[in-house]
Amino acid sequence: MRSRTIGELLAPAAPFDKKCGRENWTVAFAPDGSYFAWSQGHRTVKLVPWSQCLKNFLLHGTKNITNSSSLRLSRQNSDGGQKNKPREHIIDCGDIVWSLAFGSSVPEKQSRCVNIEWHRFRFGQDQLLLATGLNNGRIKIWDVYTGKLLLNLVDHTEVVRDLTFAPDGSLILVSASRDKTLRVWDLKDDGNMMKVLRGHQNWVYSCAFSPDSSMLCSVGASKAVFLWNMDKYTMIRKLEGHHHDVVACDFSPDGALLATASYDTRVYIWDPHTGAILMEFGHLFPPPTPIFAGGANDRWVRSVSFSHDGLHVASLADDKMVRFWRIDEDYPVQVAPLSNGLCCAFSTDGSVLAAGTHDGSVYFWATPRQVPSLQHLCRMSIRRVMPTQEVQELPVPSKVLEFLSYRV
Amino acid sequence: GHPWCRGCGGEALIYVKLISSDGHEFIVKREHVLTSETIKTMLSGPGHFAENKTNEVNFREIPSHVLSKVCMYFTYKIQYTNSSKEIPEFPIAPEIPLELLMAVNFLDC
Repeated sequence: MRSRTIGELLAPAAPFDKKCGRENWTVAFAPDGSYFAWSQGHRTVKLVPWSQCLKNFLLHGTKNITNSSSLRLSRQNSDGGQKNKPREHIIDCGDIVWSLAFGSSVPEKQSRCVNIEWHRFRFGQDQLLLATGLNNGRIKIWDVYTGKLLLNLVDHTEVVRDLTFAPDGSLILVSASRDKTLRVWDLKDDGNMMKVLRGHQNWVYSCAFSPDSSMLCSVGASKAVFLWNMDKYTMIRKLEGHHHDVVACDFSPDGALLATASYDTRVYIWDPHTGAILMEFGHLFPPPTPIFAGGANDRWVRSVSFSHDGLHVASLADDKMVRFWRIDEDYPVQVAPLSNGLCCAFSTDGSVLAAGTHDGSVYFWATPRQVPSLQHLCRMSIRRVMPTQEVQELPVPSKVLEFLSYRV
Repeated sequence: GHPWCRGCGGEALIYVKLISSDGHEFIVKREHVLTSETIKTMLSGPGHFAENKTNEVNFREIPSHVLSKVCMYFTYKIQYTNSSKEIPEFPIAPEIPLELLMAVNFLDC
């Protein structure tokens, strides 16, 4: 029941001035699994080649958690001879970093399973970019391979709280801000801002693209959960159900499910095509009454992430626990202790969960892994290309329909 | 006796034969097919099914292109269950998932 930790990356200590404040509001893995990034406080972002990171964890082992120096990622880096080997970078962003996102000109694996047209622009080689959202509303775009600044996007008037790239390789970036708007930027067109999405009445906390890039979910203060059509940039619907600020969202790999996390202590799993709530994962028992859920409590859920097998969800709450849930069970299958956790993300291959904490450190756990049933594999294969409405029309027995709609 | 089993009559047979609706025969390790709860029940039932005596199962509604995929899944499942190796993706061609799902729903695996 207890998760297996595999390593940690600790925030650098002195000689940094502690008054600068540490922040670690996001951690991110590059879509091709090559890099891992996190904001380690003091306005810097650290980029480490992920395979090197893993190798170091395996070399030092996980037994001596008290002996943290042995697990610290050392600076002995790639030798000078190999230019193409991924290198570690520390980027000074000049302002407090609230959000991070990797963008690739190569479509993500999940996107490739979908029959969509995509155009591939080759700027000499495939591009891997890192977008950083800052306290003053600016967004800086960096080239991951060289660590150089490519673009500076200026338009938001407040903190850029979340960033996400479309997974189809188009390098379309969406930013979510405390200025109550989301903005859509085309990075292949010099960062041209294409659209402002208005509708939130309050802070926007987070956003996520569906795997086929057709939908965007945005969540925010005052219980807001919105779904947007990303071909026409119109709002599809509002999802109602949470009792407090909604701070995180993530789609399942087949786009059939949407997970949202709220300060009302709950994670909801929705059907994004119909707006129905399919599952609920509570972090407080008995569940709080709506009045209590709407107020302050120590079970605020801060982050939620869907695993790549489409069967597990990880959640991070203020009660100092990371929980792994199966979508077909009411109670977590694994838990791990974590103080001051703020964000979590699964690695590209789904084998590791990374969580960032308030003091700028990152911790890693091996995710619960098992061979999914062939029924579930077929379901994901079908749902990647079929919304719920189409599923309802299929000439199959109702038992199979329910299964395909994740209503079991 | 059957040339493809270790011995008949009392001894545990290591292979079973699965026959598709279009007459293809798939010879699979018994251990593998037990992944399917339905087949497991069919093979261990007390003489209820004729298959129990011959270690053959006839699937009159499952065509070979679906049954072959099911057999591949059995191998995949056995190989990666309780293994520390990375679990790779199991490929399902876009034309078959619905047909496959119907068969697999019946087979319960």
